[in-house]
Amino acid sequence: MASIVLYHFPPSAPCRFALMTARMLGLNVNIKLVNLLKKEQYEPEFLKINPQHSVPTITDDGFHLWESHAISTYLVGKYGRESGLYPLDLKLRASVDQQLYFDAVVLFQRIRALCVPFIYGTASSVPDDVKKGVVDAIDILDTSLSNKTWLVGDKITLADIANVATLCNAEVVGYDLSKHRNVADWFDRCKTTIKGFDENLKGVAEFGALVRANHPAPLFP
Amino acid sequence: MPVDFYMMPGSAPCRGVALTAKALGVPLVEHQTDLMKGEHMTPAYLKMNPQHTIPTINDNGFSLWESRAIQQYLADKYGKNDDLYPKDAAKRAVVHQRLYFDMGTLYLRFGEIYYPMMFGGAPKDAEKVKKFDEALGFLDGFLSESKWAAGDKLTIADHSLVASISTADAVGHDLSKFPNIVRWYADCKKTMVGYEEANAAGAKGFGDWFNSVVKA
Ligand SMILES: N[C@@H](CCC(=O)N[C@@H](CS)C(=O)NCC(=O)O)C(=O)O
Ligand SMILES: N[C@@H](CCC(=O)N[C@@H](CS)C(=O)NCC(=O)O)C(=O)O
Repeated sequence: MASIVLYHFPPSAPCRFALMTARMLGLNVNIKLVNLLKKEQYEPEFLKINPQHSVPTITDDGFHLWESHAISTYLVGKYGRESGLYPLDLKLRASVDQQLYFDAVVLFQRIRALCVPFIYGTASSVPDDVKKGVVDAIDILDTSLSNKTWLVGDKITLADIANVATLCNAEVVGYDLSKHRNVADWFDRCKTTIKGFDENLKGVAEFGALVRANHPAPLFP
Repeated sequence: MPVDFYMMPGSAPCRGVALTAKALGVPLVEHQTDLMKGEHMTPAYLKMNPQHTIPTINDNGFSLWESRAIQQYLADKYGKNDDLYPKDAAKRAVVHQRLYFDMGTLYLRFGEIYYPMMFGGAPKDAEKVKKFDEALGFLDGFLSESKWAAGDKLTIADHSLVASISTADAVGHDLSKFPNIVRWYADCKKTMVGYEEANAAGAKGFGDWFNSVVKA
Protein backbone atom coordinates (compact mmCIF):
# COMPACT_ATOMS: atom_id res chain seq x y z
CA MET A 1 0.00 0.00 0.00
CA ALA A 2 1.39 3.36 -1.02
CA SER A 3 1.29 5.77 1.83
CA ILE A 4 -1.52 8.24 2.27
CA VAL A 5 -0.59 11.91 2.09
CA LEU A 6 -2.10 14.10 4.78
CA TYR A 7 -2.02 17.85 4.29
CA HIS A 8 -1.78 18.98 7.83
CA PHE A 9 -1.59 22.05 10.08
CA PRO A 10 -1.00 20.85 13.65
CA PRO A 11 -2.89 23.63 15.51
CA SER A 12 -6.06 22.72 13.55
CA ALA A 13 -8.41 20.42 15.47
CA PRO A 14 -9.91 18.74 12.38
CA CYS A 15 -6.38 17.95 11.18
CA ARG A 16 -5.52 16.34 14.51
CA PHE A 17 -8.75 14.34 14.39
CA ALA A 18 -7.82 12.92 10.98
CA LEU A 19 -4.28 12.16 12.14
CA MET A 20 -5.38 10.40 15.33
CA THR A 21 -7.76 8.27 13.26
CA ALA A 22 -4.86 7.25 11.02
CA ARG A 23 -2.73 6.49 14.10
CA MET A 24 -5.50 4.39 15.66
CA LEU A 25 -5.62 2.38 12.44
CA GLY A 26 -1.82 2.10 12.30
CA LEU A 27 -1.70 3.58 8.80
CA ASN A 28 1.35 4.83 7.07
CA VAL A 29 0.89 8.57 6.55
CA ASN A 30 3.14 10.99 4.82
CA ILE A 31 2.52 14.36 6.47
CA LYS A 32 2.83 17.52 4.39
CA LEU A 33 2.57 20.72 6.37
CA VAL A 34 0.37 23.50 5.05
CA ASN A 35 1.03 26.61 7.08
CA LEU A 36 -2.23 28.53 7.17
CA LEU A 37 -0.58 31.53 8.81
CA LYS A 38 1.50 31.86 5.67
CA LYS A 39 -1.58 31.26 3.49
CA GLU A 40 0.00 28.17 1.97
CA GLN A 41 -3.48 26.72 1.41
CA TYR A 42 -3.82 29.10 -1.55
CA GLU A 43 -0.78 27.68 -3.38
CA PRO A 44 -1.89 26.61 -6.88
CA GLU A 45 -0.62 23.07 -6.28
CA PHE A 46 -2.83 22.71 -3.23
CA LEU A 47 -5.86 24.36 -4.85
CA LYS A 48 -5.68 21.73 -7.59
CA ILE A 49 -6.13 19.07 -4.94
CA ASN A 50 -8.70 20.93 -2.86
CA PRO A 51 -10.38 23.96 -4.45
CA GLN A 52 -12.02 24.63 -1.09
CA HIS A 53 -8.49 25.21 0.35
CA SER A 54 -9.15 23.65 3.74
CA VAL A 55 -7.08 21.27 5.78
CA PRO A 56 -7.11 18.43 6.52
CA THR A 57 -7.00 17.03 3.01
CA ILE A 58 -5.72 13.61 1.99
CA THR A 59 -4.69 11.96 -1.20
CA ASP A 60 -4.91 8.22 -1.33
CA ASP A 61 -3.73 6.64 -4.53
CA GLY A 62 -4.93 9.57 -6.63
CA PHE A 63 -8.15 10.12 -4.71
CA HIS A 64 -8.43 13.57 -3.10
CA LEU A 65 -10.64 14.12 -0.10
CA TRP A 66 -11.19 16.83 2.49
CA GLU A 67 -13.43 17.42 5.54
CA SER A 68 -11.98 15.62 8.53
CA HIS A 69 -15.18 13.68 9.24
CA ALA A 70 -15.37 12.43 5.66
CA ILE A 71 -11.67 11.55 5.79
CA SER A 72 -11.91 9.62 9.04
CA THR A 73 -14.98 7.61 8.04
CA TYR A 74 -13.28 6.86 4.72
CA LEU A 75 -10.09 5.64 6.36
CA VAL A 76 -12.01 3.33 8.67
CA GLY A 77 -14.27 2.13 5.85
CA LYS A 78 -11.33 1.34 3.64
CA TYR A 79 -8.61 0.23 6.06
CA GLY A 80 -10.25 -0.70 9.34
CA ARG A 81 -13.84 -1.84 8.95
CA GLU A 82 -13.52 -4.21 11.87
CA SER A 83 -11.83 -1.67 14.16
CA GLY A 84 -15.14 -0.66 15.73
CA LEU A 85 -14.22 3.01 15.28
CA TYR A 86 -17.08 3.46 12.81
CA PRO A 87 -19.44 0.64 13.79
CA LEU A 88 -21.01 -1.66 11.23
CA ASP A 89 -24.22 -1.85 13.26
CA LEU A 90 -26.61 0.60 11.63
CA LYS A 91 -27.94 2.30 14.75
CA LEU A 92 -24.57 2.63 16.42
CA ARG A 93 -23.12 4.04 13.24
CA ALA A 94 -25.98 6.52 12.90
CA SER A 95 -25.35 7.72 16.45
CA VAL A 96 -21.66 8.12 15.65
CA ASP A 97 -22.60 10.19 12.60
CA GLN A 98 -24.88 12.33 14.75
CA GLN A 99 -22.02 13.05 17.17
CA LEU A 100 -19.66 13.78 14.27
CA TYR A 101 -22.07 16.41 12.96
CA PHE A 102 -22.36 17.83 16.47
CA ASP A 103 -18.59 18.15 16.57
CA ALA A 104 -18.43 19.78 13.14
CA VAL A 105 -21.18 22.35 13.50
CA VAL A 106 -21.60 22.97 17.21
CA LEU A 107 -18.47 22.31 19.23
CA PHE A 108 -15.90 23.19 16.57
CA GLN A 109 -17.70 26.27 15.24
CA ARG A 110 -18.24 27.74 18.69
CA ILE A 111 -14.68 27.22 19.87
CA ARG A 112 -13.46 28.58 16.58
CA ALA A 113 -15.67 31.68 16.89
CA LEU A 114 -14.09 32.31 20.27
CA CYS A 115 -10.43 31.68 19.45
CA VAL A 116 -9.72 32.44 15.81
CA PRO A 117 -10.22 36.22 16.08
CA PHE A 118 -7.36 36.23 18.60
CA ILE A 119 -5.09 34.21 16.33
CA TYR A 120 -5.52 36.78 13.59
CA GLY A 121 -5.37 39.66 16.06
CA THR A 122 -8.80 41.00 15.15
CA ALA A 123 -10.29 40.71 18.65
CA SER A 124 -9.23 42.17 21.95
CA SER A 125 -11.97 41.10 24.31
CA VAL A 126 -14.08 37.99 24.76
CA PRO A 127 -17.79 38.56 24.03
CA ASP A 128 -20.01 36.98 26.69
CA ASP A 129 -22.44 35.41 24.24
CA VAL A 130 -19.61 33.71 22.35
CA LYS A 131 -18.23 32.38 25.61
CA LYS A 132 -21.66 31.15 26.64
CA GLY A 133 -21.93 29.33 23.31
CA VAL A 134 -18.85 27.30 24.21
CA VAL A 135 -20.11 26.54 27.72
CA ASP A 136 -23.49 25.41 26.33
CA ALA A 137 -21.83 23.15 23.77
CA ILE A 138 -19.68 21.47 26.44
CA ASP A 139 -22.81 21.07 28.56
CA ILE A 140 -24.48 19.18 25.71
CA LEU A 141 -21.42 16.96 25.45
CA ASP A 142 -21.62 16.36 29.19
CA THR A 143 -25.27 15.30 28.88
CA SER A 144 -24.37 12.97 26.00
CA LEU A 145 -21.80 11.33 28.28
CA SER A 146 -23.96 10.83 31.34
CA ASN A 147 -23.67 7.26 32.60
CA LYS A 148 -21.48 6.42 29.63
CA THR A 149 -17.85 5.52 29.15
CA TRP A 150 -17.78 6.57 25.51
CA LEU A 151 -20.10 8.78 23.46
CA VAL A 152 -21.65 5.91 21.50
CA GLY A 153 -21.94 2.28 22.56
CA ASP A 154 -19.38 0.82 24.92
CA LYS A 155 -16.22 1.28 22.86
CA ILE A 156 -14.24 4.20 21.63
CA THR A 157 -15.36 5.46 18.21
CA LEU A 158 -14.64 8.30 15.81
CA ALA A 159 -17.23 10.32 17.76
CA ASP A 160 -14.88 10.43 20.74
CA ILE A 161 -11.78 11.19 18.69
CA ALA A 162 -13.44 14.05 16.81
CA ASN A 163 -14.94 15.72 19.84
CA VAL A 164 -11.86 15.37 22.02
CA ALA A 165 -9.60 16.81 19.31
CA THR A 166 -11.85 19.86 19.24
CA LEU A 167 -12.26 20.11 22.99
CA CYS A 168 -8.48 20.25 23.48
CA ASN A 169 -8.55 23.71 21.91
CA ALA A 170 -10.96 24.97 24.58
CA GLU A 171 -8.89 23.48 27.35
CA VAL A 172 -5.64 25.00 26.18
CA VAL A 173 -7.13 28.51 26.19
CA GLY A 174 -8.12 28.11 29.83
CA TYR A 175 -11.40 26.21 29.93
CA ASP A 176 -11.68 24.30 33.20
CA LEU A 177 -13.13 20.93 32.22
CA SER A 178 -13.54 19.84 35.83
CA LYS A 179 -16.79 21.88 35.86
CA HIS A 180 -18.25 19.07 33.74
CA ARG A 181 -17.67 15.78 35.56
CA ASN A 182 -18.58 13.44 32.73
CA VAL A 183 -16.52 15.36 30.21
CA ALA A 184 -13.51 15.55 32.53
CA ASP A 185 -13.50 11.80 33.18
CA TRP A 186 -14.02 10.99 29.52
CA PHE A 187 -11.22 13.37 28.53
CA ASP A 188 -8.83 11.40 30.76
CA ARG A 189 -9.97 8.13 29.21
CA CYS A 190 -9.38 9.52 25.72
CA LYS A 191 -5.86 10.57 26.71
CA THR A 192 -4.85 7.06 27.67
CA THR A 193 -6.76 5.22 24.93
CA ILE A 194 -6.14 7.18 21.74
CA LYS A 195 -2.96 6.41 19.85
CA GLY A 196 -1.21 9.58 18.83
CA PHE A 197 -2.72 11.62 21.64
CA ASP A 198 0.68 13.03 22.66
CA GLU A 199 1.42 14.01 19.09
CA ASN A 200 -2.00 15.70 19.11
CA LEU A 201 -1.10 17.62 22.26
CA LYS A 202 1.90 19.17 20.54
CA GLY A 203 -0.44 20.75 17.98
CA VAL A 204 -2.78 21.81 20.78
CA ALA A 205 0.11 23.59 22.48
CA GLU A 206 0.86 25.41 19.23
CA PHE A 207 -2.78 26.47 19.04
CA GLY A 208 -2.63 27.77 22.60
CA ALA A 209 0.54 29.74 21.85
CA LEU A 210 -1.06 31.37 18.79
CA VAL A 211 -3.99 32.59 20.87
CA ARG A 212 -1.77 33.72 23.76
CA ALA A 213 0.42 35.75 21.43
CA ASN A 214 -2.48 38.18 21.12
CA HIS A 215 -4.27 37.47 24.40
CA PRO A 216 -1.81 36.43 27.11
CA ALA A 217 -4.48 35.84 29.77
CA PRO A 218 -6.68 32.72 29.65
CA LEU A 219 -9.93 33.23 27.70
CA PHE A 220 -11.74 31.49 30.56
CA PRO A 221 -10.21 32.88 33.74
CA MET B 1 -43.87 0.14 12.19
CA PRO B 2 -43.71 3.71 10.92
CA VAL B 3 -40.96 6.19 11.70
CA ASP B 4 -41.92 9.31 13.66
CA PHE B 5 -40.57 12.58 12.30
CA TYR B 6 -40.42 15.75 14.39
CA MET B 7 -40.20 18.71 12.08
CA MET B 8 -41.28 22.10 10.76
CA PRO B 9 -41.81 22.52 7.02
CA GLY B 10 -39.88 25.80 6.89
CA SER B 11 -36.73 24.29 8.35
CA ALA B 12 -34.12 23.46 5.69
CA PRO B 13 -32.57 20.47 7.49
CA CYS B 14 -36.06 18.99 7.93
CA ARG B 15 -36.66 19.30 4.21
CA GLY B 16 -33.44 17.45 3.42
CA VAL B 17 -34.74 14.51 5.45
CA ALA B 18 -38.18 14.72 3.82
CA LEU B 19 -36.64 14.54 0.32
CA THR B 20 -34.58 11.48 1.22
CA ALA B 21 -37.63 9.77 2.70
CA LYS B 22 -39.64 10.48 -0.47
CA ALA B 23 -36.87 9.10 -2.65
CA LEU B 24 -36.76 5.94 -0.57
CA GLY B 25 -40.53 5.63 -0.34
CA VAL B 26 -40.36 5.47 3.46
CA PRO B 27 -43.49 6.90 5.02
CA LEU B 28 -42.71 9.27 7.90
CA VAL B 29 -45.33 10.21 10.46
CA GLU B 30 -44.97 13.98 10.69
CA HIS B 31 -45.20 15.69 14.04
CA GLN B 32 -45.10 19.44 13.51
CA THR B 33 -42.96 20.83 16.29
CA ASP B 34 -43.48 24.54 16.75
CA LEU B 35 -40.25 26.14 17.98
CA MET B 36 -42.01 29.46 18.59
CA LYS B 37 -44.25 27.71 21.08
CA GLY B 38 -41.33 25.90 22.67
CA GLU B 39 -42.56 22.47 21.64
CA HIS B 40 -38.94 21.35 21.36
CA MET B 41 -38.29 22.19 25.02
CA THR B 42 -40.91 19.97 26.66
CA PRO B 43 -39.63 17.25 29.02
CA ALA B 44 -40.84 14.56 26.61
CA TYR B 45 -38.99 16.12 23.67
CA LEU B 46 -35.81 16.68 25.69
CA LYS B 47 -35.89 13.08 26.79
CA MET B 48 -35.84 12.04 23.16
CA ASN B 49 -33.33 14.70 22.05
CA PRO B 50 -31.55 16.62 24.82
CA GLN B 51 -30.06 18.85 22.14
CA HIS B 52 -33.64 19.98 21.30
CA THR B 53 -33.19 20.35 17.57
CA ILE B 54 -35.49 19.51 14.73
CA PRO B 55 -35.40 17.34 12.71
CA THR B 56 -35.46 14.32 15.00
CA ILE B 57 -36.74 10.88 14.14
CA ASN B 58 -37.90 8.10 16.36
CA ASP B 59 -37.67 4.69 14.74
CA ASN B 60 -39.44 2.43 17.20
CA GLY B 61 -37.58 3.69 20.23
CA PHE B 62 -34.36 4.64 18.49
CA SER B 63 -34.10 8.41 18.37
CA LEU B 64 -31.73 10.20 16.08
CA TRP B 65 -31.11 13.82 15.18
CA GLU B 66 -28.81 15.83 12.92
CA SER B 67 -30.56 15.85 9.56
CA ARG B 68 -27.71 14.39 7.54
CA ALA B 69 -27.14 11.55 9.99
CA ILE B 70 -30.86 10.80 9.61
CA GLN B 71 -30.59 10.82 5.81
CA GLN B 72 -27.65 8.41 5.95
CA TYR B 73 -29.49 6.11 8.33
CA LEU B 74 -32.68 6.04 6.28
CA ALA B 75 -30.79 5.42 3.05
CA ASP B 76 -28.76 2.57 4.53
CA LYS B 77 -31.79 1.01 6.17
CA TYR B 78 -34.41 1.42 3.45
CA GLY B 79 -32.47 1.86 0.19
CA LYS B 80 -33.36 -0.81 -2.36
CA ASN B 81 -29.90 -0.32 -3.84
CA ASP B 82 -27.01 1.93 -2.95
CA ASP B 83 -27.58 4.62 -5.60
CA LEU B 84 -28.62 7.30 -3.12
CA TYR B 85 -25.84 6.48 -0.70
CA PRO B 86 -23.11 4.42 -2.36
CA LYS B 87 -21.30 1.69 -0.47
CA ASP B 88 -18.02 2.07 -2.36
CA ALA B 89 -15.62 3.75 0.09
CA ALA B 90 -14.47 6.57 -2.19
CA LYS B 91 -17.93 7.36 -3.57
CA ARG B 92 -19.42 7.37 -0.10
CA ALA B 93 -16.63 9.66 1.08
CA VAL B 94 -17.49 12.21 -1.58
CA VAL B 95 -21.13 12.13 -0.44
CA HIS B 96 -19.94 12.74 3.13
CA GLN B 97 -17.66 15.55 2.02
CA ARG B 98 -20.60 17.30 0.32
CA LEU B 99 -22.85 16.79 3.37
CA TYR B 100 -20.28 18.35 5.71
CA PHE B 101 -19.69 21.11 3.19
CA ASP B 102 -23.41 21.82 3.07
CA MET B 103 -23.75 21.98 6.83
CA GLY B 104 -20.51 23.61 7.94
CA THR B 105 -19.81 25.94 5.02
CA LEU B 106 -22.79 26.53 2.73
CA TYR B 107 -25.75 26.61 5.10
CA LEU B 108 -23.66 28.06 7.92
CA ARG B 109 -22.66 31.04 5.80
CA PHE B 110 -26.23 31.45 4.55
CA GLY B 111 -27.40 31.62 8.16
CA GLU B 112 -24.72 34.14 9.07
CA ILE B 113 -26.23 36.66 6.65
CA TYR B 114 -29.93 35.98 6.87
CA TYR B 115 -30.61 34.87 10.46
CA PRO B 116 -29.45 38.13 12.05
CA MET B 117 -31.65 39.98 9.54
CA MET B 118 -34.66 37.88 10.52
CA PHE B 119 -34.14 37.59 14.23
CA GLY B 120 -32.12 40.69 15.11
CA GLY B 121 -33.19 43.31 12.58
CA ALA B 122 -29.62 43.49 11.27
CA PRO B 123 -28.79 45.00 7.88
CA LYS B 124 -27.41 42.77 5.11
CA ASP B 125 -23.68 42.46 5.74
CA ALA B 126 -21.68 42.70 2.50
CA GLU B 127 -18.69 40.82 3.96
CA LYS B 128 -20.91 37.90 4.89
CA VAL B 129 -22.51 37.94 1.46
CA LYS B 130 -19.03 37.59 -0.01
CA LYS B 131 -18.33 34.56 2.19
CA PHE B 132 -21.59 32.90 1.19
CA ASP B 133 -20.91 33.65 -2.48
CA GLU B 134 -17.50 32.02 -2.07
CA ALA B 135 -19.28 28.90 -0.77
CA LEU B 136 -21.72 29.02 -3.69
CA GLY B 137 -18.67 29.21 -5.95
CA PHE B 138 -17.29 26.01 -4.42
CA LEU B 139 -20.59 24.25 -5.07
CA ASP B 140 -20.69 25.62 -8.60
CA GLY B 141 -17.22 24.14 -9.08
CA PHE B 142 -18.30 20.70 -7.84
CA LEU B 143 -21.27 20.83 -10.19
CA SER B 144 -19.11 21.82 -13.15
CA GLU B 145 -17.52 18.39 -12.91
CA SER B 146 -20.56 16.19 -12.60
CA LYS B 147 -24.29 16.18 -13.14
CA TRP B 148 -25.07 15.71 -9.46
CA ALA B 149 -23.26 17.02 -6.41
CA ALA B 150 -21.33 13.83 -5.68
CA GLY B 151 -21.03 12.26 -9.11
CA ASP B 152 -23.20 11.05 -11.96
CA LYS B 153 -26.01 9.83 -9.73
CA LEU B 154 -28.41 11.73 -7.53
CA THR B 155 -27.54 11.10 -3.87
CA ILE B 156 -28.62 12.22 -0.42
CA ALA B 157 -26.04 15.02 -0.76
CA ASP B 158 -28.26 16.58 -3.43
CA HIS B 159 -31.25 16.40 -1.08
CA SER B 160 -29.37 18.20 1.63
CA LEU B 161 -27.83 20.78 -0.71
CA VAL B 162 -31.06 21.61 -2.52
CA ALA B 163 -32.80 22.22 0.79
CA SER B 164 -30.16 24.90 1.43
CA ILE B 165 -30.12 26.33 -2.08
CA SER B 166 -33.91 26.60 -2.31
CA THR B 167 -33.90 28.46 1.00
CA ALA B 168 -31.36 30.94 -0.35
CA ASP B 169 -33.51 31.28 -3.46
CA ALA B 170 -36.61 31.85 -1.33
CA VAL B 171 -35.09 34.84 0.45
CA GLY B 172 -34.03 36.29 -2.89
CA HIS B 173 -30.28 35.59 -2.86
CA ASP B 174 -28.90 36.04 -6.36
CA LEU B 175 -27.92 32.63 -7.75
CA SER B 176 -27.69 33.68 -11.39
CA LYS B 177 -23.91 34.10 -11.18
CA PHE B 178 -23.58 30.36 -10.66
CA PRO B 179 -24.63 28.69 -13.92
CA ASN B 180 -23.90 25.13 -12.77
CA ILE B 181 -26.01 25.62 -9.66
CA VAL B 182 -28.83 27.06 -11.78
CA ARG B 183 -28.71 24.02 -14.12
CA TRP B 184 -28.53 21.53 -11.23
CA TYR B 185 -31.29 23.28 -9.24
CA ALA B 186 -33.62 22.91 -12.23
CA ASP B 187 -32.65 19.22 -12.51
CA CYS B 188 -33.42 18.71 -8.81
CA LYS B 189 -36.90 20.22 -9.20
CA LYS B 190 -37.59 18.04 -12.24
CA THR B 191 -36.12 14.81 -10.96
CA MET B 192 -36.58 14.52 -7.21
CA VAL B 193 -39.52 12.46 -6.03
CA GLY B 194 -42.08 14.56 -4.14
CA TYR B 195 -40.03 17.74 -4.59
CA GLU B 196 -42.98 20.09 -4.35
CA GLU B 197 -44.39 18.62 -1.18
CA ALA B 198 -41.15 17.76 0.57
CA ASN B 199 -39.21 20.90 -0.24
CA ALA B 200 -40.75 23.63 -2.41
CA ALA B 201 -43.71 24.38 -0.18
CA GLY B 202 -41.61 24.68 2.97
CA ALA B 203 -38.94 26.79 1.28
CA LYS B 204 -41.63 29.14 0.03
CA GLY B 205 -43.04 29.34 3.56
CA PHE B 206 -39.60 30.28 4.84
CA GLY B 207 -39.25 32.96 2.17
CA ASP B 208 -42.68 34.45 2.94
CA TRP B 209 -41.80 34.56 6.60
CA PHE B 210 -38.46 36.21 5.85
CA ASN B 211 -40.12 38.83 3.67
CA SER B 212 -42.77 39.60 6.26
CA VAL B 213 -40.19 40.15 9.00
CA VAL B 214 -37.45 41.84 7.07
CA LYS B 215 -39.43 44.21 4.89
CA ALA B 216 -41.83 45.20 7.65
N1 LIG C 1 -15.30 20.97 8.70
C1 LIG C 1 -13.93 21.01 8.24
C2 LIG C 1 -13.24 22.22 8.81
C3 LIG C 1 -11.92 22.46 8.18
C4 LIG C 1 -11.37 23.81 8.50
O1 LIG C 1 -12.10 24.74 8.84
N2 LIG C 1 -10.06 23.94 8.38
C5 LIG C 1 -9.43 25.19 8.65
C6 LIG C 1 -8.37 25.02 9.70
S1 LIG C 1 -9.03 24.45 11.23
C7 LIG C 1 -8.79 25.68 7.36
O2 LIG C 1 -8.30 24.89 6.57
N3 LIG C 1 -8.77 27.00 7.14
C8 LIG C 1 -8.12 27.58 6.02
C9 LIG C 1 -9.02 27.90 4.88
O3 LIG C 1 -10.18 27.45 4.87
O4 LIG C 1 -8.57 28.60 3.95
C10 LIG C 1 -13.21 19.75 8.67
O5 LIG C 1 -13.66 19.13 9.62
O6 LIG C 1 -12.23 19.37 8.02
N1 LIG D 1 -27.28 20.60 12.10
C1 LIG D 1 -28.66 20.41 12.50
C2 LIG D 1 -29.34 21.73 12.62
C3 LIG D 1 -30.67 21.61 13.27
C4 LIG D 1 -31.22 22.94 13.71
O1 LIG D 1 -30.47 23.86 14.02
N2 LIG D 1 -32.54 23.04 13.72
C5 LIG D 1 -33.17 24.26 14.17
C6 LIG D 1 -34.35 24.57 13.31
S1 LIG D 1 -33.91 24.79 11.62
C7 LIG D 1 -33.66 24.05 15.61
O2 LIG D 1 -34.09 22.97 15.93
N3 LIG D 1 -33.58 25.07 16.46
C8 LIG D 1 -34.08 25.02 17.80
C9 LIG D 1 -33.05 24.74 18.84
O3 LIG D 1 -31.90 24.44 18.48
O4 LIG D 1 -33.38 24.85 20.01
C10 LIG D 1 -29.36 19.51 11.50
O5 LIG D 1 -28.97 19.50 10.35
O6 LIG D 1 -30.28 18.80 11.90
